[in-house]
Amino acid sequence: MTDLEAYRSDMEGCSRCCNCKWIPLSQIKSRRYSQVCPSSQYYEFHAYSGSGKLNVALSTLDGRTEFDETAAAIMYSCTMCGGCDVGCKSYRNDIDLVDTFAAARARAVELGHYEVEHLLLVENMQKQNNVFGRAREERADWAEGLALIDANREEVDVLFHVGCRYSYDETQREGARAAARLLLATGLRVGISGTAESCCGVRAYETGFQAELANFADDMISRARSSGAEYVAVACSDCFGAFNVTYPAADKALPVPVRHVTEIAADLLDSGRLDLRPVRPRRVTYHDPCNLGRKGHDWQGTFEGRKIDRPDHMRRDGRGGRYSAPRRLVEAIPGVELIEMERTREFSWCCGAGGGCLEARPEFAIATAQERIEEALSTGADAMVTSCPWCIHTFREGLARLHDEGDDRQIEILDVNLLVTESLEAAS
Amino acid sequence: MSAQDAPPIGAPISDDALAELRDALDARRVTNEPHILDSYAAQPFHKAEPGVWIHRPIAVAMPETTREVQAIVAICNRHQVRFKALTTGWGAHAGPGFDNVLQVDMRRMNRILDIDVRNRTILVEPYVTCAQIQAELMPLGLNLHIHGAGSNCSPLASATSHMGMGFSSISMGYMPRNMLGVEWVLPTGELLGVGSCGSDAGWVSPDGPGPSLRGILRGWAGSDGGNGIFTKCALKLYPWSGPAEIDMRGTNPLELDLEIPPHNGIWLCVFPDAERYEDALYALGDAEIGYLQAKLAPGLAMAIGQPDLFKRVVNDERMRATVDSMRFEFLVVLQGHSRGRFEYEKKVLEQVVADNAGSMQDPSLFGSAGSLWWALVRNSIAPGMFRPTGNFYSTLGGDEAVASALRQDLAGMRLKEGFIADGACADDLTDNAHTLLYENGQFAHTEELVLFDHRDPEQAAKLKALSDTAMRAIVSERLGGGGFSFFAGAYAHDYLGPNIDNYHVWQRRVKTALDLQDLSDSKYYIDSEKNEGD
Repeated sequence: MTDLEAYRSDMEGCSRCCNCKWIPLSQIKSRRYSQVCPSSQYYEFHAYSGSGKLNVALSTLDGRTEFDETAAAIMYSCTMCGGCDVGCKSYRNDIDLVDTFAAARARAVELGHYEVEHLLLVENMQKQNNVFGRAREERADWAEGLALIDANREEVDVLFHVGCRYSYDETQREGARAAARLLLATGLRVGISGTAESCCGVRAYETGFQAELANFADDMISRARSSGAEYVAVACSDCFGAFNVTYPAADKALPVPVRHVTEIAADLLDSGRLDLRPVRPRRVTYHDPCNLGRKGHDWQGTFEGRKIDRPDHMRRDGRGGRYSAPRRLVEAIPGVELIEMERTREFSWCCGAGGGCLEARPEFAIATAQERIEEALSTGADAMVTSCPWCIHTFREGLARLHDEGDDRQIEILDVNLLVTESLEAAS
Repeated sequence: MSAQDAPPIGAPISDDALAELRDALDARRVTNEPHILDSYAAQPFHKAEPGVWIHRPIAVAMPETTREVQAIVAICNRHQVRFKALTTGWGAHAGPGFDNVLQVDMRRMNRILDIDVRNRTILVEPYVTCAQIQAELMPLGLNLHIHGAGSNCSPLASATSHMGMGFSSISMGYMPRNMLGVEWVLPTGELLGVGSCGSDAGWVSPDGPGPSLRGILRGWAGSDGGNGIFTKCALKLYPWSGPAEIDMRGTNPLELDLEIPPHNGIWLCVFPDAERYEDALYALGDAEIGYLQAKLAPGLAMAIGQPDLFKRVVNDERMRATVDSMRFEFLVVLQGHSRGRFEYEKKVLEQVVADNAGSMQDPSLFGSAGSLWWALVRNSIAPGMFRPTGNFYSTLGGDEAVASALRQDLAGMRLKEGFIADGACADDLTDNAHTLLYENGQFAHTEELVLFDHRDPEQAAKLKALSDTAMRAIVSERLGGGGFSFFAGAYAHDYLGPNIDNYHVWQRRVKTALDLQDLSDSKYYIDSEKNEGD
């Protein structure tokens, strides 16, 4: 997986049609919102597009250029959102863009051309089991007062993995607590690992420190197994992508399925077990997080042989992402009207946080978030709801920056789980 | 710098020239960073030579105004640097044809400048795509002609510089007919308004008042960057009688979930033999009906939409025969501004098909009818041709009277049987022709495609010979037209020209008059008399 040479065929295969830059041609509804690649839109030169990064990596393999700091910097100027992959796979079965970028980043780390900010992330993970470097003893503070089982001591039906952002970002604790309340509404025994919970490890993996993933994956596998859980529940989309795709792709599949809280809540809704009540009327647009959406498309296994012969059903083009559950929840809340943005589902625009950009390319990350905010505002929505704490954080940062710059337009950035619990707890 | 001090053409760019470029543009929009340059040098499509790489540009400049484009070209003239403009940039013909070429990336010139609903025209910059324009036009009840390469491409690039036939040619003609006023930065850096815009009379006409230079600026096949840089172009628009927006799910153009709107329909018309197929094409053109039309070869359509099924068909003689029995076919999309008009066109189509012993079939072999309808309207299907094998190449086929075009198809198939047997390309059931009517059926555009994988050393090595064999067949079999051999540049023109009215002599004179120094990269056009035979 770390071997860039293994992706030579992907790189050489690019025909430069540039559908990696656009949302699928069939779906373009305006000139304004037709691009899908934040990196290409922001940095403009072809090298920064999906196709261009394949070209840059191939150039280094062919000895035309060195894999130096510049090549690495191009690779790191990317949120790894997978939008390019969806555009490309509208037409190709034999090119895996994001996997190739991941291998190129691994090469960058091998050669010492990593970003300092990423190294700090990894050191934080190694020392404190979280990306922020906060004390591991504080990891379960968010859960205070909730009737959650300590999965280190008792067997549970559901192991709730909360993730770093929900655990440590005080502005998002209510989102984590809302997710826990939804899980508890299942009536199952829901537990957490508390201070023993670790980062999923995906930030290390996607910034090129691939070897780090194994420890975190082994730890998670061990805790999932010993908890006796029927499934692992996550509220963070990055953790979902890690467990559902990155782990099995690294031959570290969890012993039980992983489910996003919105899927579990939607099941409760379908079985009539969510008593949703009217909330303050709002027009809401839903942002699909990359790792729950297109990149959450289930891992299809490794195909041995020439990729041009890979069966169509193994094409991970985002169709299998989780799109309907959060929408069903939002639409079911009395008083809420769901309005779609132009770029939705598989071809959603990224929030900007991924790929280590929030840490190493903050201006790019914020610009990417602001582009999405602009799109959300264009729908006339009062709120943009999503199901990933990283997206929420980046959108709030982007909006705050807009306000600092004198743009006083308002839009509420909201966790879908909070919106649902607001409805559950509203006065009848 | 005097002309005597100037370096020879094609020499590495000097620090002075780079500094001047950085002064003329925002310095961040000029780069000579090797990794970035190499991303402009990877172009495995539309070239017969093996390998991914073409010439690495010496630098890339990204202008955002016409004035900046002029400044770039003036600097190139002062320093004898070749230049090549690139819009959406798909194919080797979009990149440098020589060493030390400055690539002018037009992506910042990406605006729709005006939509004149009343006069049905649009004014665009180079980096606006057909899909973007169509999406903006549909709510206004308008549409544009989309050329065959697909809606991910620039209509300005097609109209001014490269071919221009497409599924909508039956009702909207081809790109040179749709090109209206053009703003043109000549190879010398001077600015010229072509047609009415040259007389400050708006953008409505390519032929005047003002200089009428359509033939000069693009000729038949297009100059592919060999005649300067086009910075604005007005295009003719057409009625759209469908909804403002098409609501659907999905990303693969042949796997969408959508309903065909009222007064629209798509049919697969199949004929029993070549003769009746040809007669039906003529009759369809004479009838002046149809919104979109194309022969989409059954094998390729299946390979795009259902690649796994296609692999089974190729290896099953009975299934091959079944698909092959549908060889003489075309798809037709009808669109009426009213129910009456739609029903009229449908009856005429039924009559054309019945008169030629054909049948109108459900096109589901290719994908759901709704998907296929939208794939043709949006022309979102073209890049799918890379799905089966990773690359394709156009060989025979041309823009000729229908009968001549179909002769080229048959000759192309005969040649391809040999190529397939030789392992030079993939087995695509042999028939991979795509035939489009235009000029009311007076002409047909057709291409016999070969599917290959440039990553396969054997196929990559044999492609040049395959291409040359096809070109020679045009002359030896007296097929007429030049097909896609035109894009092999001066080498092909000098071979084909003596057999086609010596057009190459005139083409070279045009090039010489406009660009004696050959600074506007002419690899895919023709060199000037100064460099002839180099």
